Amino acid sequence: MDIFLQQLANGLTIGSMFALVALGYTMVYGVMKLINFAHGDMVAASAFVGLTIYTQVMGQATSLFAVIAIFLLSAITMAVIGIILERVAYRPLREAPRLSAVVSALGASLVIQNGIMLIWGPRMRIFPELVPQVYWDLGGVVISLIQVIILVLSLVLMLALYLFVEKTRMGAAVRAASIDQDAARLMGINVNNIIALIFIIGSSLGAVGGLFIGLYYRGITFNMGWQYGLYAFIAAILGGIGNIPGAMLGGMLLGLFNAFIAGYVSSTWADAFTFILLILILIVRPTGILGERVAEKV
Amino acid sequence: MKFGKMMLALAAITLLAVPAFADSHGGTLKVGVQAPITGSYANEGQGIENGVQLLAEQINAKGGVMGKQIEVITCDDQGTAMAAAICAKDLVNKGVKMVIGSYTSTCAEAAQKTYYKAGVLQTSDGTADSLTEKGYWTFLRNSFPNSAEAEFVANYLVNVKKYQRIVVISDFSTYADGLANAAEAAIKKLGGNVVSRDKIKADSQNFTPVLTNIKSKNPDAIFFAGYYSDGGQLRNQQMALGIKADFYGGDANDNPDFVKLAGSAATGAFIVNVPSPDVLPYEIAKSFIADYQKKYGEMPPSIWGLMNIDGMRAIIHAMEQNKSFDTKAAADYLHNMKEPLEGITGQIAFAKDGNRKGGAYVVKKIQADGTYANEYVQ
Repeated sequence: MDIFLQQLANGLTIGSMFALVALGYTMVYGVMKLINFAHGDMVAASAFVGLTIYTQVMGQATSLFAVIAIFLLSAITMAVIGIILERVAYRPLREAPRLSAVVSALGASLVIQNGIMLIWGPRMRIFPELVPQVYWDLGGVVISLIQVIILVLSLVLMLALYLFVEKTRMGAAVRAASIDQDAARLMGINVNNIIALIFIIGSSLGAVGGLFIGLYYRGITFNMGWQYGLYAFIAAILGGIGNIPGAMLGGMLLGLFNAFIAGYVSSTWADAFTFILLILILIVRPTGILGERVAEKV
Repeated sequence: MKFGKMMLALAAITLLAVPAFADSHGGTLKVGVQAPITGSYANEGQGIENGVQLLAEQINAKGGVMGKQIEVITCDDQGTAMAAAICAKDLVNKGVKMVIGSYTSTCAEAAQKTYYKAGVLQTSDGTADSLTEKGYWTFLRNSFPNSAEAEFVANYLVNVKKYQRIVVISDFSTYADGLANAAEAAIKKLGGNVVSRDKIKADSQNFTPVLTNIKSKNPDAIFFAGYYSDGGQLRNQQMALGIKADFYGGDANDNPDFVKLAGSAATGAFIVNVPSPDVLPYEIAKSFIADYQKKYGEMPPSIWGLMNIDGMRAIIHAMEQNKSFDTKAAADYLHNMKEPLEGITGQIAFAKDGNRKGGAYVVKKIQADGTYANEYVQ
C-alpha cells in the first residue's frame, strides 16, 4: 500500500508537469488545427531563461520574492517569444496547406533547440536549489515541498485557465475561434488577437512547466524539450486534442500511468507502454477521452 | 573580363591545392580525438580535447615528434554509438595514426573495429572489460578495467563496511551494465546479499518509481554504476524519498556536476574512483595540471582526461623509442615494456591484451561544502 501511494504521489507530480505543457499543445491545436512541435523546445528554453534570470537579474538571490520574480519574468519572456514564433513561423502559412505549417513547426523546433545550444552551450546546466529540500514522512509515504508546490500551483493555474475560457467574454471568443474562425470573424472577433492570446497563455504555462522541470530535476539540457514535448503531446491526444480539460486529465493520467508501469512492471518498459497506450487510444477512441467527434472541416 | 575570370579561377584552384599539397607531403603527425564534445558528457569530452591540444602544443614547441609537428583532428561522437562509428570512419579517412578517446566505453567499443582494420592505435579510458576481450592489438586501455573496480567495491561493501542489504543500480550502457554485473557477481562471491539489481534509463531524469521499489527492500547500501549526470539526480531523489541507505557512486560519478545536481543531498554520498587529479603526487602531473589551468582557466574536469593524455604520451613515447611511426611496432613495444613510463596518473605499462597494468582505488565521502574527504584508500 505504501508503494502504491508513493507511486501515486510520484505520478501526480510528473503528471501535473505534463499537463501544463500539454495545455500549450491543445490550445494551439484547438484554434489553429496545428501541432506546434516547437512547444517542447519552448519549455526547455524557459528553463534556461529562468536560470539566466536567476544568475544575471536576481543576482543569485534565493528569497521567495526572487523565486516568484523568476517565474513571472520567465513567463513574460516566453510569452513574447511565443508571439514572435506565431508571427514569424505560423501566421504567413495560415492559408497554406496544413502540412506546410507542420513542417514550419518542426523547423521552428530545430531553430529553438539549436538556439539554446548556441546561447547556453551543449553542457548540462544545473539549476540552483531554490526550493529548500523539505520532506514530510506520512506513514511511509514521503512527500517533498517541491512536489506540493508543483501540484498545487499546477492545479491553480489549470483552474484559472478553465474559468477564463468558460466564464469570461474573451474566453468565449477563444471558444468561438476554435469552433469556426470565419464565423467568429463575422461576429466581430479579431481572430489574430485570439491566436496571439493563445500563444501567450500556452507559452507562459509551458514556461512554468519548464521551470518546474528545472526545480524538480535540477539538470537541464538543450535537447530535453523533445522528451517532454513528446510526453505532453501524448497527454494532449490522450485527453482529446483541442480540449482544455482533456489536456489536464491526459497529463495527470499519463503521469500516473508512467509511474505505475515504471514501479510495478519495469522502468525500462515505461516508454514502450506509453506508446502502446497512445496506439490503443488512437485505435479505440481517436478523439481522446474527453474529445468530441466533430465533422472534419474541408 | 574573360581574362579576369580566368585568373580568379586559377587563384581559386591554387588556394584549394595548397593545403592538399601540404597534406600529401605528410609534414605532420595526425592525432585524432574522438570524444563527446556535445551531449550529456560534453564536460568530459571537452576535457579530453583540451588536454590533447595542450600536450600537442607542448610537444610541437619542443620540435614535434621526430621532427614532425602534431596535428590534432577532433571528431565529436556526442556520447552515442552511432556518431562514434561515423567518427571512426571519418578519422581513419583523414589519415590519423592514433585516436585518443572516447570517454565512454560504448563509444570506444563502437569505433574499435574500424580502427583495428585500419591499423590505427586507439587509447581510451573506457573501463568496460569487453573492450580488451576482442584481441584487437590496436586498442590500449589507459584506465583500469571494471572488474578491478568491481572487486574493490565488493570487498569494501561486504568485508570492510559489512552491509547486509545491498542494491546495485546501473543504466544500459556498456560501461555501467558491465561494472554493475561484475560488482553484483563479486559481492555474491564474497557472501554478500544483493537484495535488488535495478536498471535506469540514462537521461530520463525521473528515477523515483525505481527508487520507490528499492525503498520497500529496505537496503543499507546502494551502489550506482553509471554517469554523474544521472548519479546526482539519483542521489537527490533517493534522499527525497527518505531512503536512508549509504550511496556509493562508481568512478564515472566523480565529476563536480554530481555535487551540483544532488545539491544538499550530496552530503554523505560516497564516490569510488582512482585518485583524483588534484591529489596526484607526481611532478609531471603537477606541472601538466598547472599548464592546463593557465591555458583554460579551470581544472581538468576529472582524471579521465588525464588518463587519455597518458595514453597519448605512451604511444608517442613508443614511436620515439622505435624511431618509427609504424603503429604495429608501437603496439608491440607498449605490450612488452620493460620499464614503465612515468605518467601523469602514475606509471604506465600495458599487458598483452591492451589493459593498463596496476590500479588503486579510493572511497571518497562528499562533505557538506561539496569537497571530498578520503574515507578509504586501497
